[in-house]
Amino acid sequence: MSISSERSSTLVDRFRDTAVGKAMFRSPSRVTPRDRAAGHWSNFFLHLYPVKMRRKEISFRYSYYLGIISAVLFGSLIVSGIYLMFFYVPSPGQAYANIQTLQTDVSLGQYMRNVHRWSAHLMVLAVAAHMAKMFYRGAYKPPREFNWVIGVILLVLTLLLSFTGYLLPWDQLAFWAVTVGSEMAAFVPLIGGRVQELLLGGPVVNSATLLRFYVLHVAVLPSIMVAVLMIHLWRWRKDSMLDAAREEGDD
Amino acid sequence: MSSILTRRALLARTWKVGLGLIGAAGIWSMWDLLQPLATPGFGGKVRSVAASVITEGSVTEVSEARAYLVRPPGGDIIALSSKCTHLGCKVPYCESSGRFECPCHGTTFNLIGEYLTGPAPRGMDTHPVEVGADGLLYIDTGTREDGPVPGVLTLDEPATGPSCDEGGHA
Amino acid sequence: MTDESEVKVSLADEPATIGSKRVLGIVPGKPIAGERKEPAKKDMVMVWPHLLVRHAVAALGALITVLVVSVFFDAPLREIANPELTPNPEKAPWYFAALQELLSHFHPMVAGILVPGGIVAGLIALPFLDRNPSLATKSRKVAVTAFTTFMVVWIILTLIGFAFRGPNWGWVWPWNEWHGEL
Ligand code: FES
Repeated sequence: MSISSERSSTLVDRFRDTAVGKAMFRSPSRVTPRDRAAGHWSNFFLHLYPVKMRRKEISFRYSYYLGIISAVLFGSLIVSGIYLMFFYVPSPGQAYANIQTLQTDVSLGQYMRNVHRWSAHLMVLAVAAHMAKMFYRGAYKPPREFNWVIGVILLVLTLLLSFTGYLLPWDQLAFWAVTVGSEMAAFVPLIGGRVQELLLGGPVVNSATLLRFYVLHVAVLPSIMVAVLMIHLWRWRKDSMLDAAREEGDD
Repeated sequence: MSSILTRRALLARTWKVGLGLIGAAGIWSMWDLLQPLATPGFGGKVRSVAASVITEGSVTEVSEARAYLVRPPGGDIIALSSKCTHLGCKVPYCESSGRFECPCHGTTFNLIGEYLTGPAPRGMDTHPVEVGADGLLYIDTGTREDGPVPGVLTLDEPATGPSCDEGGHA
Repeated sequence: MTDESEVKVSLADEPATIGSKRVLGIVPGKPIAGERKEPAKKDMVMVWPHLLVRHAVAALGALITVLVVSVFFDAPLREIANPELTPNPEKAPWYFAALQELLSHFHPMVAGILVPGGIVAGLIALPFLDRNPSLATKSRKVAVTAFTTFMVVWIILTLIGFAFRGPNWGWVWPWNEWHGEL
């Protein structure tokens, strides 16, 4: 009796006390800090976060929260991108008309395309700004050297994702930007010409190029991105615990 | 004694070599798999016009071959690839100046594709031209020869008129 | 900092004693008595809720920005792709505008391969090149100056390529003619 009156019994708390709730959440309540930490550890989504951090590390000035902003924009890109995939066929005969139909006939089609486009641009900005902020904070120094390297890989992946997506509407902007962009590959010594042909699936931008970029854009690169991002976040957690363990190292 | 260690070392090495081989096989098959297919039209031999149409000083565009047919003074007909040797923009022919002017970064070539100005590394590339059994010219777009290096100017004529870029120049 | 020096014992030789007690081990941490300050370690906060609410606010802020911008600005769609006609000017996406600007000045081998390859390689190698352990800006003058120079040059090149280039990659003033493409 005394215990239940101590606890606020919200709907969530009552659910956690049921058999199903106990099966889902290992720690029943969050009364003491110890319970909280236990709840944190046993939660899949929170396991990407450390349990405790130094107070200054959670302040706005420390990171401007650019990392989480990049991640959220990536999430928004996945959601809006999946929506767009329902209405799009990657072939020169259909792609452009699909986009037009999407914009004029599909409800919220234009809006979803806007969300995808602006999220993409903002994500490039956010990731680049994140990198700059981390530089000025010196966050590439031991013990975080390797996570910085992973971050650079994520930046390159972001640019590649953005660039492969750029071709998909098959409009003049897309076609020529990709023509010029892929032509740069041809200047790589020795294998440049072959690499370019492999990328384009032919001597010039054509239907094979559109298909290849589409596969890269919706399957290959996002999978790599998610995998590398997970490593990045995991390292972030581990490194922050390392940092907390050494008492000095501030400023 | 030592035979156990050797066996162990052998096994340890074997799986690494195996992994390497599978990786190499993967990359090789990927490379092979993604080779472009031969496509009809551009990439093969493209039929164009009769040789007699191509006179000295004329520029005939063959859009299917993405090329221009020109005849250098006193020479054989050549097919200039319309793909800029800089970064692949389509280089249009400018009637008023009598030159090829690339809109992307402003490279210019003369009437027979020799480099004049701009960031391109060489003159316009060429494709071999053959006369077919039907008497028409065939452009072999599957083969591409590098254009002449900058400095080679067999046709050194001033521009015949104003250039085609519509203003906005510094 | 001072706790190690307070008791100098060597556990290897013979059991150390303090008074009549034998020392079995030394446990790091706050001494039972004494005027030591709280170590910096104590300044820890729980990530849940302190960081998570902040992250939630930042995330919602970013999301709402995108959702609102998308109401008012439509993504561009030009005419259907035409291999016969290069638009003039031809613009790369803004994040490659700096490269495109470089490409109009240097050989593609330099501007298209060496510069971007060098930037990525340099960024990857940065933690291994800059071995200065200091985090304070004052004692990292070289690194900070080099990086800032690079960023400023890159941003200026991006702006030029994005907004100040018009037909035939000639110079234009963005307030007279607008050629930027997003
Ligand atoms: S592509 Fe022709 S000048 Fe750059």
